[in-house]
Amino acid sequence: MRTLVTLAAAAAISLAAPAPAGAVKLGIVAFQMSAETHARTANAAKAVAEDKGWEVTLLNSAGSVPDHAAQIENLVQKGVDAILLAMGKPLQAEAQLKAAAAKKIPVVTVMSGTSPHTLFDVTVNEFEVGAKIGVYLLGLLNYQGNILMSRYEGHGGTKIRGRVMDIILEENTGVKVLGTHAMARTQSWREDVKAGMEALILRHAGQFQAIWASFDGQAFVIDDILQAQGYKKGQVFLTGVDGGQEAFRRIRDPNSLFTATVAIPFELMGEAAVDSLDDILSGTPKSEITPGPYLFMDAVLVDANNVPAEGEWPW
Amino acid sequence: MNEILGRYGTVLAALALFTLLALLAPNFTAPMNLLNVVKQASYLAILAIGFTLALLAGELDLSVGQVATLASVVCAALVFAGQPWPLAALAGFLASLVCGVVNGVAVTRFKIPSLIATLAVGVIATGIAFLITGGIAYVGRFPAGFVALGRGTLGPVPLPVVWLVLLLAAAWFLVERTRTGAALSATGEAPEAARLAGIDIARIKLLGLVLSAGCAGLCGLVLTAALASSSPTIANEFLMRGIAAVLLGMTTIEPGRPNLAGTLLGTLVIAGLGNGLTLLGFPYYVQDIALGLIMLVSVGFSARFLTEAAFGGAR
Repeated sequence: MRTLVTLAAAAAISLAAPAPAGAVKLGIVAFQMSAETHARTANAAKAVAEDKGWEVTLLNSAGSVPDHAAQIENLVQKGVDAILLAMGKPLQAEAQLKAAAAKKIPVVTVMSGTSPHTLFDVTVNEFEVGAKIGVYLLGLLNYQGNILMSRYEGHGGTKIRGRVMDIILEENTGVKVLGTHAMARTQSWREDVKAGMEALILRHAGQFQAIWASFDGQAFVIDDILQAQGYKKGQVFLTGVDGGQEAFRRIRDPNSLFTATVAIPFELMGEAAVDSLDDILSGTPKSEITPGPYLFMDAVLVDANNVPAEGEWPW
Repeated sequence: MNEILGRYGTVLAALALFTLLALLAPNFTAPMNLLNVVKQASYLAILAIGFTLALLAGELDLSVGQVATLASVVCAALVFAGQPWPLAALAGFLASLVCGVVNGVAVTRFKIPSLIATLAVGVIATGIAFLITGGIAYVGRFPAGFVALGRGTLGPVPLPVVWLVLLLAAAWFLVERTRTGAALSATGEAPEAARLAGIDIARIKLLGLVLSAGCAGLCGLVLTAALASSSPTIANEFLMRGIAAVLLGMTTIEPGRPNLAGTLLGTLVIAGLGNGLTLLGFPYYVQDIALGLIMLVSVGFSARFLTEAAFGGAR
């Protein structure tokens, strides 16, 4: 046991980030590193900050709001020079962000929403994202047919995409929604989506021509269900949102029914957040970086026509 | 010497750890940081005190995280429905007590091992939390009076610490100065002997589980106030850390036996370690590994007691 503890301590000490003298100390808090989008953002931010010679403390709230608040609090106590929240919860951590603002620690967030105590949120316009994929899907159907929907109302972005799709459907009455599954659980969401969508797909077999999913992870689960039930590419259109190498692989895969996604540039957003903090720390006024509470980035619609090769990105 | 080391070894190890952090981690000993550590420990400690009381009565309560969440969600739902916050908080607390009664009846009347019964009640509590919320978080819009319960201070001392001190004093009085407290300990340590001594061990075990659920409910309410938010998973992760704190506490003061002072020390070590590792710049996964190691070492000291609590001795 003594050897085990000694080895663990040695490994831990070797993982502590060495602090170059005078290096900028950046704290990054990702809300849920097990979510690919959060990890992509946080890891890209960490990489670009370390390239600048900064000392980075990367924390994972593991989906826990109490941990999220405590970690921001600990970074403020550490006396970091700047904080970056990846998919953070500024409303819930208001007291902690207020403490950061009081200590004049600049905080930039990525896809987290706004707060009076943060500088701005690097994000994509979710209304635009929802409109892109919604109009695209109805276009594929030539504005006639039946669809199934897989929604998630517990996240701001996915909720907006669903609302935008509702408006598109209201305006285009040739497309009917035969059934909707609203994902509720976050910790066992794959099982939740699988159970709900499997039931809908079986119930409406042969009656629907497309499935709209609020994010790619849901679409992947649905794609697997469709393939297992013998559906072939082109028989049903399936769309999601987020982008990423797995999404692109499925779009290229001749057996997959996954048709298109809107690729959100998570890595670029993480990098932009760090670059912005660099500018702020160098004295650039916030208004010169972005005029309002958001720094908008472009999301790219990707289908078979523009899908990048393996390991490549569409930007 | 061996007896002193056996009894206070963990206390000495904790002192050594805190001394090391004081020497190495910048700002660790700053008064504001130490207050933050105690505040961060207080949420977990409130829950862990209840867990300790159930364990003293010889029962393991694995529903505490979900019961805390249920209390939080019930309170938040009523606040958002326009009810006065004292009424909402009372309803949340009562919901936690109901869970405790169901745990107690399942264990004492239906002879279901507490490991199984409390797991099942925890799953039910999660189901009810999702039923109430639909998976969506309640954020903001909490009355200032309620939020002050979690964010306010008494002088420099955060109010969650004040609630912890009051609860700890009440629990200490119950365990050390009342016949019921003596019955709790006797029931957990030697149920047959307790029965022969005329103690109604079923009633005492039920009381232990109700107290555990009540403390979990208080934890959920204080968390809700501190974060001005609630969600169907807000306190779920507290179970593992609560167990870790109590197990660590069982290695000291009264080794092999659940005890309040040990539990408090355990929560302080967990919070202090998380804070210290962040101040030192360790990445997030080192904190997970450190917590796992604490549990691994601690469980060796308390394995016999835990096995009996989980699978039941006399009821």
